[in-house]
Amino acid sequence: MSKTPESEIDKNVVRQLTRLLEENRLTEIEYGRDGWHIRVVRGEAGSHQVSSGRTDGQTQAPAGAVKSIDAAAEIDHSNTITSPMVGVVYTGPDADSLPFVKAGDEVTEGQTLLLIEAMKVFNPITAPKAGKVKRILVTNGSPVEFGEPLIVLE
Amino acid sequence: MFEKVLIANRGEIALRILRACREMGIRTVAVHSTAEIDAMHVRLADESVCIGPPPAKDSYMSVPAIISAATIANADAIHPGYGFLSENADFAKVVEEHGFQFIGPSPEHIHLMGDKIAAKKAMEEMGIPVVPGSDGPVKDAGEARKVAGELAYPVIIKATAGGGGRGMKVVHDEDGLAVAFELARTEAEAAFASDELYIEKFMAAPRHIEVQVLADFHGNMVHLGERDCSLQRRHQKLIEEAPSPALNEAQRLSICKRVVKAMGKLAYRSVGTVEFLYEDGKFYFIEMNTRLQVEHPVTEMICGIDLVREMIRVAAGAPLGFDQSDIRFSGHAIECRITAENHETFQSSPGRVVDYHAPGGLGIRVDSALFSGYTVPPHYDSMIAKLIVHGANRNECLMRLRRALEEYVIDGLETIIPLHRRLINEPTFINGDYDIHWLQNFVDGGRDSGGA
Repeated sequence: MSKTPESEIDKNVVRQLTRLLEENRLTEIEYGRDGWHIRVVRGEAGSHQVSSGRTDGQTQAPAGAVKSIDAAAEIDHSNTITSPMVGVVYTGPDADSLPFVKAGDEVTEGQTLLLIEAMKVFNPITAPKAGKVKRILVTNGSPVEFGEPLIVLE
Repeated sequence: MFEKVLIANRGEIALRILRACREMGIRTVAVHSTAEIDAMHVRLADESVCIGPPPAKDSYMSVPAIISAATIANADAIHPGYGFLSENADFAKVVEEHGFQFIGPSPEHIHLMGDKIAAKKAMEEMGIPVVPGSDGPVKDAGEARKVAGELAYPVIIKATAGGGGRGMKVVHDEDGLAVAFELARTEAEAAFASDELYIEKFMAAPRHIEVQVLADFHGNMVHLGERDCSLQRRHQKLIEEAPSPALNEAQRLSICKRVVKAMGKLAYRSVGTVEFLYEDGKFYFIEMNTRLQVEHPVTEMICGIDLVREMIRVAAGAPLGFDQSDIRFSGHAIECRITAENHETFQSSPGRVVDYHAPGGLGIRVDSALFSGYTVPPHYDSMIAKLIVHGANRNECLMRLRRALEEYVIDGLETIIPLHRRLINEPTFINGDYDIHWLQNFVDGGRDSGGA
């Protein structure tokens, strides 16, 4: 897979993923390796969508269940901020406060977007670059895995 | 009893623990790195949490990641398996401080036995003979020369924080001492972040014999006999068997009773293994492993006790349901460790398993997380399966092992099964007449003579 040119999709992998998807009655499945990821999503009437792309260190291929995403939605991972750790995500500084950011907000590089609590330590998740918040994919207080998509910037 | 256990490990041992939990009606939480989304322990678990990127230090060995995973999954207890965090006293302590039960010994016992010099001293005080060696750490090559001279060559230099053969150097004469000492120091520093070394007498032809103990939190303790793990290559065990072909009933009983007495004085709990070198009828303590061991199945096969189940039961506060007189040893068991390595060069061979067929039939047990289509990741240990065979006696066990090795197919990557097939036909192995240097010599010699 690592040798596959960027424009090409490894059909075998897609075929296998599709089979796994059907066998296990999943709505979506994602497979990442050597910096590549392929995502197969079951839409209406058994149709499938496939997306693939190159990922780098900052935006690792998300792993495990991607709970809060529309099954049919496609995500451009180059602008997705993923969780650097397993923990509990908070959208604001405390339970009563407003969230740090909401969809549509303009953010500057380094601005705190979320907090992730791991072992009673709150770790700020900051914007890697200036941009506009397209979507927030997590809800306040929800558990997140390593690599789980958190926020999409545009 | 626990409702949900998080298994802080991967591969066959994660699966082994998962199976015990399932049989006890306990829900399981698997953790995994991004390299192992499709691993068998993840597929079979009730829940799974991705805890980090492929390198073990950022995932399976990350204390914050595992504690956070246990928190978000709402687990009651954590089983560390072997390797990774299993003998990390700080981890055991953090687990308990966060309100989870650590399925294993107390942090104090892990800490004591993790310091190989302190462990030797503690055992000596409890009347267990130890391998003659330096009285504590050795500071420099000059002191090493003095100690080695007193012990008489050959000697072995070891790391105080050691294990797994790293930081160990055998020295045959004074000329080689200084270089070996510095090498061992560098290796120890790299592997254990501590360059403290000690020196022991290097014995000519000992066997490695270890005693398995099991204790609850109420002061009840039993031994489950011994295992002979003398077939080693580079201080790594390759084949283990129980009982040891070298001991008679009186010797067996004597060492096992002494170990139970010493462990009782320590108020040890959970499972543990006390390792000895055995030469000329005498036992010398080398170290204690405060965890479940890779080779635990051979003990399970001869005494019919599920060690992982007992570990979980006692961690939940249950008393042992039996005492020493209830334990019956029956027959003989041998385990072959199967690694993804070339059987001659020992070059590791990660990759995709194209075809997989495990042996079966009476007396055969395969502990493995392999399946057709599984890709052995390059990031972790090369051990991919354990073939465990039980027979009514050692001869039956050997014949059964031979046919099981003939049946076993793992296609698509290289394994050391061909080496096991060669060993099973070696008279020295068949007669049980090997010491801890024999396998290394066999492997080295085989390569030299068959070098074509």
